[in-house]
Amino acid sequence: MVGLIGRLWNLQYKSIVKEASGKTLAVAKFFCVLHVTNTYLCTFALAYGPSMIPTFNLTGDMFLAERLSIKFGKVGPGDIVLLRSPESPRKVMVKRLLGLESHSVTYVVDPMNSDRCDTIVVPKGHVWVEGDNIYNSRDSRQFGPVPYSLLEGKVFCKIWPPKEFGSLMKSGMKDPDL
Amino acid sequence: MRLLSYMGQWKSAAKEVLDRTAIVAKFLCLLHVTNNYLCSPTLVYGPSMLPTLNLTGDVVLAEHVSHRIGKVGTGDVVLVRSPVDPRRILTKRVVGMEGDTVSFYVDPMYGQTTVVPKGHVWIQGDNTYASSDSRHFGPVPYGLIQGKVFFRVWPPDGFGTLEQ
Repeated sequence: MVGLIGRLWNLQYKSIVKEASGKTLAVAKFFCVLHVTNTYLCTFALAYGPSMIPTFNLTGDMFLAERLSIKFGKVGPGDIVLLRSPESPRKVMVKRLLGLESHSVTYVVDPMNSDRCDTIVVPKGHVWVEGDNIYNSRDSRQFGPVPYSLLEGKVFCKIWPPKEFGSLMKSGMKDPDL
Repeated sequence: MRLLSYMGQWKSAAKEVLDRTAIVAKFLCLLHVTNNYLCSPTLVYGPSMLPTLNLTGDVVLAEHVSHRIGKVGTGDVVLVRSPVDPRRILTKRVVGMEGDTVSFYVDPMYGQTTVVPKGHVWIQGDNTYASSDSRHFGPVPYGLIQGKVFFRVWPPDGFGTLEQ
């Protein structure tokens, strides 16, 4: 009698374990697919801060960024890119690409205090990034051109807030006279 | 009638091919994940790390965990993506972390000293006479470090950890 109960318990236990491990495997596979998509195809992120006003809000906008263009070298001036900060390796920032290697970039050095402009030729293997809000943005004007390998993605679509949903135009400069 | 039996055979053959392909794909995925996030063997060659690494090529093991948790420090041999050519990966030694003062000689007669800026590292090849490194292209952002070399696998008489 005891042996029978023992055998029944074994059977139940085994089937529970089997079902649990099956479900865990399915969840693990799902997370793997999510991770691969995130790392190699397309990811979404939240950007906050004043440096990309008016393109992105101060309090935070969600957008989609794709990773294939960077790997194939299909980014150009005017694109909004995700890049790892050269000053804080754990931070990822969103800026607009203004110049590729060997491009000549003219920038306003300190727009809050003066109108002085400077021109620089972007060295080989580097890119020049600037925030759309040059009055309050820490970008290549402060830390210099950034190695191309620090680019992580190209932003192509804003998804939150809903009334600003849509693809981001190549030229972010909104002319108020239009 | 024969057509039906052929279709049946084809279906089972296709199923077997798909199963085998799935196993191979899973193995490649596992290999890829291990290579990128754990440990990977790499062939390194060139004169810039003599005498630590040979000219004609060594196979070394590099681990990809330390640089993600900030455990890369002075004296480590690291794999770094070149700031000059994004497709190349260099093998150099970290000589200074952010905030360190580094003295170096580009020209044997003329020495310079710099402070490594925040978020950057100073890398130099052990063979300073034949190495293109931070003395030429400046300090490199920490985010470009891909891995830390800790072990040599080939050639067999160099098998073991790298000497400092």
